[in-house]
Amino acid sequence: MIEIEINTAIAERARGGERLTAAELAELDASDVLSLGMLSDEIRRARVGDTVSYLRVLDVAAGEPLDDALSTRAASCGEVRLATPAETLAATVDLVQRVRALLGAGIRLTGFSLADVASRPWGPLEEVLAALKAAGLDAIAEAPVDLVSPDQVAAVRAVGLGLVTLSVQRLDEGRLAVLERARAVLEVNPHLTTFAPLAREQSIATPTTGYSDVRLVALARIALPEVRTIQVDWQQYGPKLAQVALTFGANHLDRVAPTDDPALGWRRASVEEVRRNIEAAGFTPVEQGPA
Amino acid sequence: MSHDLDALQARIDGGGRVTADEALFLYRSAPTWWLGRMADLVRRRKHPEGIVTYIIDRNVNYTNVCVARCNFCAFYRPVGHGEGYVLGFDEIFRKIDETIALGGVQLLLQGGHNPDLPIEWYEDLFRAVKARYPSFKLHALSPPEVLHLSRTSRLPVPEVIQRLIAAGLDSIPGGGAEILVDRVRKLLNCYGKATADEWLDVMRHAHQAGLRTTATMMYGTVETDEERLEHMLRLRALQDETRGFTAFIAWSYQPEHTERGGREATGIEYLRTLALARLVLDNFDNLQASWVTQGGKVGQLSLAFGANDMGSVMIEENVVRAAGAAYCMDEVEIVRNVEDAGFVAMRRNMHYEVLGEPIFRQRDVPRQLELATAREAGDTSVPSELMNYPARSAAGKRQRAQQPPSPVA
Repeated sequence: MIEIEINTAIAERARGGERLTAAELAELDASDVLSLGMLSDEIRRARVGDTVSYLRVLDVAAGEPLDDALSTRAASCGEVRLATPAETLAATVDLVQRVRALLGAGIRLTGFSLADVASRPWGPLEEVLAALKAAGLDAIAEAPVDLVSPDQVAAVRAVGLGLVTLSVQRLDEGRLAVLERARAVLEVNPHLTTFAPLAREQSIATPTTGYSDVRLVALARIALPEVRTIQVDWQQYGPKLAQVALTFGANHLDRVAPTDDPALGWRRASVEEVRRNIEAAGFTPVEQGPA
Repeated sequence: MSHDLDALQARIDGGGRVTADEALFLYRSAPTWWLGRMADLVRRRKHPEGIVTYIIDRNVNYTNVCVARCNFCAFYRPVGHGEGYVLGFDEIFRKIDETIALGGVQLLLQGGHNPDLPIEWYEDLFRAVKARYPSFKLHALSPPEVLHLSRTSRLPVPEVIQRLIAAGLDSIPGGGAEILVDRVRKLLNCYGKATADEWLDVMRHAHQAGLRTTATMMYGTVETDEERLEHMLRLRALQDETRGFTAFIAWSYQPEHTERGGREATGIEYLRTLALARLVLDNFDNLQASWVTQGGKVGQLSLAFGANDMGSVMIEENVVRAAGAAYCMDEVEIVRNVEDAGFVAMRRNMHYEVLGEPIFRQRDVPRQLELATAREAGDTSVPSELMNYPARSAAGKRQRAQQPPSPVA
């Protein structure tokens, strides 16, 4: 029988959902990558089974035409996501209202990084978030744990907004540091259950490596037992790494394109491709929304 | 079909051989982790020093004109096509100069089956290269190209190989193997360029002539699991016989812009295939990671699934790019990935002999953020020395009738 080459006591504590110490996580981080993956996969299957969910997301970029075509494309999606706030709060509220009007009430509308919203000189964060909710926003798209405080994350819930996922903007501080930050956010916000550990921004000169990415995914699964959903961005990380990440503890593929876009090539394309990759990795695909 | 994984593990641990039936069971049923860990175990046994090698060479395609018409290929152009090209000797010399500047030691020289390039063209090219760059290596002409030369020159394969060696050939790349099963080769329209037996026979003759070669596998088209394994087993049998293969390289079929079309096998399928190859090909010392088809990230993860070599920095690539994959890793990036995975990165030659530490740590080497191509887009120039060689095709004869012969470089 293939044995996991990891400190037995640490592995047992991880299997039991216990909170590992920083030193234990550091030891795991330095362990054989396949052993780490095996442990993470075992924990993931025990916790969330062998399904992998995916979400078709219609990204709405700044300046994109807001017309009936958008609502038509949105019909097949689980979510419409606004990329960036406008220059002013009033313009951002207007953007949310216009998109909400196009979509009607049935489609989930999310948007923005909490770090981006919090950095704007628009007044108290809770008032800004409340204005966005009143305009028709259902949820903030992400809260990068390396850029926002636990209290800022708490403000999202305080105004009745959802939060799609905790995330990581950059990995400058290292894998263990961002996991500690995620823990700090989760302590103040125990209702949150989704984390996207792979960095949104990559250095062009020294992008993260495959080993680094899958180690981070596996460590996130082990270090954050309260998190049920570990996300990987399908479009940003591509089919190959995203698929391998599923075997290291991830269980959700985010930002699957709503429709085939020939300009992106099949590598970024269809739902069929996503499902094929999930199944080839040994999991069962399940689409999140639309109904 | 069912086998005891623990018993297989014990056998592989002890250096025992996996049978065809067992290999099929492993490929279909063994957990990916099991395959990875066992492949890693075998890699560690064969390479206990923890070194991962790579080579600095350039992947040059001397012509894209080809009569083979494989339906999985997006690179070739038929005879007489406006985008068909043959590189001139001077162009190839320039590419060698650029390769040497980056610390390169050889060309991987392959091309289409161009009916208008007789064996003398190859001999003259090889001699000219060796005259200008005596220590520079030519890892050139895959078995189907050798066979093509045998047919066009009406010489037996061993004689073709001997003439090429006399002209400067150092080793033969394992391209054109695809899947070494004739049913598959017929469906891929590559049976005519070389049957499975013919491909293996060229390699057998090359090994008998003292050349070392690599072996490849392009999977993910029409082959069954059994046929993928048959490919590996035929290579294993020839390796038992000759010990001439230095390495095995698997890559997934790249479907874009090809006549065949379809989908590419997934990253997990690649890692499982690679790991299985490490277990089945127990008489191969070296397995390359195909970062050029899998990307740098899964390319690096290959090192955990049995690979011990990151292949080539390539510098230039035309064939896989034509089918949709355009990844690039220069020496700095390859070394960063090797070291990040916990290995020691060392340069090697085609014989997998370690040449030394990374070149960029010894002297300034320009970074390379994208792979070069054979030619600039729109360059339709015809090399002057081509007029010195007789053409076989009507289009080639017309072209050469328009220009007088030139001195050979």
